Amino acid sequence: MQQTQSLDRIFLALADPGRRGMIEQLARGPATVKELARPANMRLPSAVKHLKVLEEGGIVVSRKAGRTRTYTMRRHAFSLVNDWVSARETALNAAFDRLAQAIADMPEEE
Amino acid sequence: MTVEHKTIVIERELAASPKHAFRFFSEPALKERWTSCHPDWTVLEEEFDFRVGGVEAKRWRTDEGQEQTFFARYLDIVPARRIIYAFDMGFAGERLSASLATVEFFAEAARTRMIFTEQIAWLGDGGSLQLRIAGTGDGLDLLTDIIAADSAGVH
Repeated sequence: MQQTQSLDRIFLALADPGRRGMIEQLARGPATVKELARPANMRLPSAVKHLKVLEEGGIVVSRKAGRTRTYTMRRHAFSLVNDWVSARETALNAAFDRLAQAIADMPEEE
Repeated sequence: MTVEHKTIVIERELAASPKHAFRFFSEPALKERWTSCHPDWTVLEEEFDFRVGGVEAKRWRTDEGQEQTFFARYLDIVPARRIIYAFDMGFAGERLSASLATVEFFAEAARTRMIFTEQIAWLGDGGSLQLRIAGTGDGLDLLTDIIAADSAGVH
């Protein structure tokens, strides 16, 4: 379940080219809404909407100082390690199922 | 860029003596019966030298055209009791993980309790991979591949 949710989050974030651009920009360093909207050719309200998707998805975090909101990539936003470990665990369990089956198919000779 | 450490422990009861169960790890033909599970991938290279200091290695091309590698060295082998090996897995030219795996066999009446422990140093969140995933539409395919790729590394 946890794996599915975190994958959904990553896929949703990456599903939109505008958001991909924002992630790419934020991977290079923090930026304000205005700085993120301009290269994406977005109006401010639209940029705010996309950033909200990224923030709710745990990809970015924001901080408000005065009237300016600055966005930063969340550390380990793409926590592939957990996805990877649970995929590996699933694969190992499937392999050991096959091992048990192989042993059943080829029992020990007397 | 930090290395993340994880441990996986899997316990199984097998319907055979430790001596017989061990053969499914030590003999290539028997091992093949349960480890290969990616018929759509092309095997480019294969090596299996089951002895202390020996190498087990495999290189595939995935159906998406990326290269997946597995390279192991056996550190300790006690027939019918345990196997310890170190291995790394690579994907598309990048090393994703380095692990220490221990397989232990315990006799229980006529059966075997097997305990598999893998201690993983995970390297895959490293910069270039993360940027590739974040930065391009290809990241989607790459991510799917990485998650799928893992099942090839069952050894």
